Amino acid sequence: MGTQIKDVVMKADAPSTLLLDKHADYIAAYGSKKDDYEYTLSEYLRMSGIYWGLTVMDLMGQLSRMSKDEIIEFIKSCQHDCGGISASIGHDPHLLYTLSAVQILSLYDSLSVIDTDKVVEYVKSLQQEDGSFAGDKWGEIDTRFSFCAAATLALLGKLDAINIDKAVEFVLSCMNFDGGFGCRPGSESHAGQIYCCTGFLSITNQLHHVNADLLGWWLCERQLPSGGLNGRPEKLPDVCYSWWVLASLKIIKRIHWIDKNKLRSFILACQDEETGGFADRPGDMVDPFHTLFGIAGLSLLGDEHIKPVNPVFCMPEEVLQRMNVHPEILN
Amino acid sequence: MHGRIKLKTTEEQAEQKQKERLKKLHFYDTTRSACFAKRKAGILDEEGLILSGQLLAANPDFATLWNFRREIFLHLKEEKTPEELQTLFEKELSFLETCLRVNPKSYGTWHHRGWVLDHSPSPDWKVELELCSKFLQFDERNFHCWDYRRLVVQRAEVSPQEELEFTHKLIGTNFSNYSSWHYRSTLLPLVYPDTECRVGRADEEALLTEYELVQNALFTDPNDQSAWFYYRWLLGRADREETVSCLYISREGQRLIVSFSHPVNVLLPKDELILFVDGLPLRVTWKSPHPQLKRSAIWICELPPNTINAACSEHNFKVHWQDGRIQRECILYKGRSESWCRDSATDQQLFRCDLSVEKTTVLQSELNSCTQLQELEPDNKWCALTIILLMRALDPLGYEKEMLQCFQTLKATDPMRTAYFDDLLSKFIIENSILKMEYAESRVVDLSKKNLTNLCHLDQMQLVTHMNLTSNRLKSLPIHLSMMQCLEVLEASDNEIECLEGLVQLPRLQEISLQNNRISKICDLRPLASCPSLILLNLKGNPITEVPDFQSELSELLPSLKDLIV
Ligand SMILES: [Zn+2]
Repeated sequence: MGTQIKDVVMKADAPSTLLLDKHADYIAAYGSKKDDYEYTLSEYLRMSGIYWGLTVMDLMGQLSRMSKDEIIEFIKSCQHDCGGISASIGHDPHLLYTLSAVQILSLYDSLSVIDTDKVVEYVKSLQQEDGSFAGDKWGEIDTRFSFCAAATLALLGKLDAINIDKAVEFVLSCMNFDGGFGCRPGSESHAGQIYCCTGFLSITNQLHHVNADLLGWWLCERQLPSGGLNGRPEKLPDVCYSWWVLASLKIIKRIHWIDKNKLRSFILACQDEETGGFADRPGDMVDPFHTLFGIAGLSLLGDEHIKPVNPVFCMPEEVLQRMNVHPEILN
Repeated sequence: MHGRIKLKTTEEQAEQKQKERLKKLHFYDTTRSACFAKRKAGILDEEGLILSGQLLAANPDFATLWNFRREIFLHLKEEKTPEELQTLFEKELSFLETCLRVNPKSYGTWHHRGWVLDHSPSPDWKVELELCSKFLQFDERNFHCWDYRRLVVQRAEVSPQEELEFTHKLIGTNFSNYSSWHYRSTLLPLVYPDTECRVGRADEEALLTEYELVQNALFTDPNDQSAWFYYRWLLGRADREETVSCLYISREGQRLIVSFSHPVNVLLPKDELILFVDGLPLRVTWKSPHPQLKRSAIWICELPPNTINAACSEHNFKVHWQDGRIQRECILYKGRSESWCRDSATDQQLFRCDLSVEKTTVLQSELNSCTQLQELEPDNKWCALTIILLMRALDPLGYEKEMLQCFQTLKATDPMRTAYFDDLLSKFIIENSILKMEYAESRVVDLSKKNLTNLCHLDQMQLVTHMNLTSNRLKSLPIHLSMMQCLEVLEASDNEIECLEGLVQLPRLQEISLQNNRISKICDLRPLASCPSLILLNLKGNPITEVPDFQSELSELLPSLKDLIV
């Protein structure tokens, strides 16, 4: 008996050059077919969808092609009395979409169009006794929400509104035997969660708690023979996990532990030559989510045709420089 | 968005599909509008459950609809009889089970299930535990289900012992089960707490039994990484206790240096560090060796003039840390230029495993098993790496040659992780060099020609005066190098060094050889301006020597430099 490594086969005719123009056209067109079934069905995460689209356009230097005024009006209409922001009109506010909205407004340097004091109040109201954060008033606890809370407040320059020591304590209680982090204390490590927790510790200047050599080893073992990275042992590679692993490695200063050329080939192979955009794996359907993480991953790998991306906020470095937000990178 | 394969379709098929979509879109639109309208009007009835259920069954990530259902339940709780409620809650649970069968990885569905149970008049947590086992049989890696299971275990007060047995059963059917190994890492310390109360570690006897279980897994399927990751944790050591590891005083420099076991920030009130000289507290300003080191394993203070009196037979220096719970003391006798008191790396077995001495026989037998396995599986990188770790736990110096061989195997079998192995090897070589230096009671460290790609443990070399890094593959002299406060001579020729950011404020540094490196700009040398004793600098074979006016700019930057070799 032997474990077969789960992986994908890289085809010889897979795309191997970066098709920037096609990706920009794909994203620009995505929002225009508003009565499409798939598009409508994703309304429950619309705010994040807009963030993915705008960020990838900004990274490609094409932000001006998006309809800024319409988007800003949309965000204003999604802020609720409690201060929180929802994915779409008629939906309930949640930390996930509050962060997305604040990220979008940061790209546009337009934070003042919403009531930011109320956003701060909302984030603050979701911190629990043990330092953790609920995603909304219904009480789901997850380290993803600790990240959302810290990132939102850092972009608003109001990190001190919450109990940071307690928040850090909770995130650290989710650290595991492999150096990684899970959703809650006791949960298994997962690349997405590791990204959230290292990102959170970076924003709060607490990266010294991370066992960087142990975690870095686990993260670089995510790379499979195809060059792609998976999110947990014995799982398939995926462009979005490639980003989460890569960004985490960048934050803990171990990005050189993976084979950059092989990862680049994998990400490029996930492009769709006909429609533009990136899929999770070669040959799958593309979407804006994987398109952002494909482009952002290539940026971290040093692609000169893309603006440098910040590994913690997944936004262009220049935007964070302008805002004077400087998350910690391990030294 | 995940795992949807792009299919080629004919025009006819596409048209058919489009029709279906329009139909589905219409249904979605009307049902959602109906839900939102009801909610807006405050109508929280069973029809709302039916409508939202029709959408959630196919689209469980529509979080607002779960919220709507919870509002309905909270409302019905006040209207219905306990029997009616029980029926409603049971119906909800079977609806949720259907949803989970279609989409077992939806955060919203699992969270709602927990909420329903918590609000149910008579929750049956045992049934939930069985549900988890059923779903884990279907997918033993579903972390949503595992997390839900942990909630159920808590509510149902299932003992860690029972859960440990459950993972044992799962591992028995399939060793390749990272989720189960992970769960064991959290349960083992609960069921068999460490006798010395170290958090997150298990009792030695339990560890020994656990080794056997893992060995079984490793021999059954040596390429399964799950068990290897777990094995590495089992072999690991507990965190070192926080302490002050060294106190150093220089008479000539009028300064005092405190070393810690971990990076700390003594400028924070909770980590306040207090100095006593001859029994009296002395107010001093602490600084870290490098402005970028906000937390540092080393803190320095300049002593006020006349603190040290040359005529005095002895001075007693003492620091209190963590409200005096941790102290260290050092005496500077008359006529001595410096003095220190420290725990050495050899005393602390800093680079060894934490198992007690009696158990080295156990480690030895683990090593033997792995060596056996390696004979069967010579190309198995997991085995080679584990052998290295075991050898380091047993006798880092004695096994040095074998370790180097194992690294060759590793790099040959897993070229994708070459950079990781290079950095790991650099770390082990530096550890060995520190051990050799300490056994020799020397303050000179020779790290030349070791293929080093990375420098670490520099805080352990705080007393070193001469360091040779010649002929390695270093790209920078990192900021941690600034912790080597006694350094006088640094040889770093024949590397790939571009950046000297660590050569900052080293008060005794006199000579630096940087021949054949990649220093190209005058600003790269700027850190050296903060090293007051520097008199010799060798920059031969660096691109910078070809920059026009380089020498005059350099003499402006480093006016006290006597010897510049280019
Ligand atoms: Zn993905």
